[in-house]
Amino acid sequence: MQNDDQEIIAQLKQESTREVAFHRLVSMYQEPLYWHVRKILLSHEDSDDVLQNTFIKVWKSIHKFREESSLYTWLYRIATNEAITCLNNNKRRSMLPLNEVSDILMHNLNSDPYLEGDKIQLKLQEAIVQLPEKQRIVFNLRYFDEMKYDDMAAILDTSVGALKASYHHAVKKVEEYMKNTD
Amino acid sequence: MKENKKNVPESSKLKNELPFVVPANYFDDFYARLHTRLETEELVLPKKRNKVIRLLKPAFGLAASFALIIMLVYWPVKTYLPKYLAKTKNIETGISNEDETYLSMINNLDENSFFALLTEVSEPELLQEVGLNEDEFLSYLSSSISDYEIFIQSEN
Repeated sequence: MQNDDQEIIAQLKQESTREVAFHRLVSMYQEPLYWHVRKILLSHEDSDDVLQNTFIKVWKSIHKFREESSLYTWLYRIATNEAITCLNNNKRRSMLPLNEVSDILMHNLNSDPYLEGDKIQLKLQEAIVQLPEKQRIVFNLRYFDEMKYDDMAAILDTSVGALKASYHHAVKKVEEYMKNTD
Repeated sequence: MKENKKNVPESSKLKNELPFVVPANYFDDFYARLHTRLETEELVLPKKRNKVIRLLKPAFGLAASFALIIMLVYWPVKTYLPKYLAKTKNIETGISNEDETYLSMINNLDENSFFALLTEVSEPELLQEVGLNEDEFLSYLSSSISDYEIFIQSEN
């Protein structure tokens, strides 16, 4: 994977191989990045926009990528930032009387046509929506993707200790929500 | 996975699967849609302009605005008030050739030659030149003087 990434980066930086390498990069990362973004935004339409924006940003700024982090970390970081920006924009533009990001996410959860799951899965999503932004992202990455704390620390630019604490708090809150709501 | 399940209560009932789906062939078509968007964005992106043009752009803009404003004022005046425009033009260029000659003559005169000109022609000669005798000249003057002035003179 590491060698693949290095090869893709090298090819992306060369004009002659750029397009082929970009196609390869998109094929490799479109699904993991999509699900990562979808867990943050819950809406398919927004996730699709953010995924496109992420890859467009990669295409435009690959020459600025200094390879201080892995390609995987860089992509996840761009996608996470794009998703958070999208959420904030939605909050600002919202015509509905929704004051909090959690209100918007709950609205997305209830109105998205591409939602299929049993009652308990939906209840878990509702519990996650109630979490603060950072805890929500950490919980999703850890619980659903089983991502290592080290990788998470690189993506979110936070210490491992802080991430562990965030996950711990998130689990407590989710537990409480699951117990107290029908 | 085991660690996660230990951390989340009721996790025996929970699957760490997401309740989300995507439209059919979404990932198969994704690259094609992305490629189309990239092409569109690159077409829309403005090409880098010359630095001088970029610097002068505001000045050109201002000049164009002034020209437009002048055109917007001049055109309706020319169309709807042509007489006003003609009158203004006459005022501006109303100096005749005769006046121009006279003005240039005055400009060329110095103080001495001006007084010499005044004293050059004596009164009778002037009357002769004009073609009037003294009586006619006096009657002309009296006709140009108002009754009030004649009264004042006779009183004095």
